[in-house]
Amino acid sequence: MREIIRLVTVLTVLCVLAAMALARVYEFTKDPIVNQRRLAKLRAVEAVIPEHENQPDQDTVTIDIGEGNKRLVYRGTLEGQITGIAFEVSSSKGYGGEVVAMLGLDPNGLIYGIEIVRHSETPGLGAKITTPEFRSQFKGRSISNTKFMLKKDGGDIDQVTGATTSPRAIVKAIREGMEFFNDHKDTITEDKG
Amino acid sequence: MSVLNDFLNGFWNENPVFRLVLGMCATMAITTQAINGIGMGLAATFVLVCSNFVVSVMRKIIPEKVRLAVFIVVIATFVTIVDLVMEGFFYEIHKALGVFIPLIVVNCIIIARAEAFASKYPVINSIADGLGMGLGFTISITVLGMIRELLGNGTIFGITIFSKSYQAFLLALIPGGAFIALGLLLGMMNKINEKLGYKG
Repeated sequence: MREIIRLVTVLTVLCVLAAMALARVYEFTKDPIVNQRRLAKLRAVEAVIPEHENQPDQDTVTIDIGEGNKRLVYRGTLEGQITGIAFEVSSSKGYGGEVVAMLGLDPNGLIYGIEIVRHSETPGLGAKITTPEFRSQFKGRSISNTKFMLKKDGGDIDQVTGATTSPRAIVKAIREGMEFFNDHKDTITEDKG
Repeated sequence: MSVLNDFLNGFWNENPVFRLVLGMCATMAITTQAINGIGMGLAATFVLVCSNFVVSVMRKIIPEKVRLAVFIVVIATFVTIVDLVMEGFFYEIHKALGVFIPLIVVNCIIIARAEAFASKYPVINSIADGLGMGLGFTISITVLGMIRELLGNGTIFGITIFSKSYQAFLLALIPGGAFIALGLLLGMMNKINEKLGYKG
């Protein structure tokens, strides 16, 4: 009995000390972490929209896309006019799982840029979707002038050497993003969201 | 054994990657780039030194029966601290290492040193051991990362070594390539030890 009490006491004291230490560190790192996450997102947004003077993550619209899912849309403005719209698109059909991209459009629905936010594709093959060569081909495309499918599948987008699955996943995500924008264009470009 | 010997032990004689062959999961997964090796290695070194220190200080009061539970609480606490601090202040490298930072908790090197060394030896020796093992681990996985990055991408630490026309050897970047590169390095170290007449 005495031994059990000793075991329990040592473990309890240790766990309390550990919890106290972690609480201090958590308090200390809480703000920097929130800030870093925000900056990372902001960098992706700013890389894909045209010139703007606001903080796009301070001017957002949330749109219900059904089944309880919502999509956050970032808006860049210059002199009160919307100059760019950005939102995340994703597909679970990548070779290594989910691929997530930030899609940036101008107010007319032409693609201004895309950035790959997150992926687990094979280095050197599927991961080539992150290269500027692959990404730049989307610029200026819109739902009316482009069929968002790989050339191999009868569309207009070039695949990358040695990989089909990864670009196919990204193109699918972008196609869905473009359709989403088309469906919700008016809500997104309204002055106040 | 002197403190210096305890420190040097981890670099060659009991190098965690090449001699003890511990911590393989992280080793295989993150060594696609040399910089990842440094980030992972230093994070693990910090945890190792701290956990060795705490375990050594407490070695007389840790009851034998719950010692593994105690080690895990101590290690998990330091890993969480590293995870939070890295995300707050070294965001890019934290993102590159991803889930492997929290997984330092189950890196066998750390609990192995707590069990085999820190719970038996004085504080100074335990710190030296943690530092040596950690830096031995860091150097090992950085070397592995340099080899894989060079072969698979033509760069080291992101600096281009082979020109753009280099046809990347992609095998080096996938897990299979990690096993092959590690195997060759292991064999090389064994050969050197044989030449030196070292009894392993």
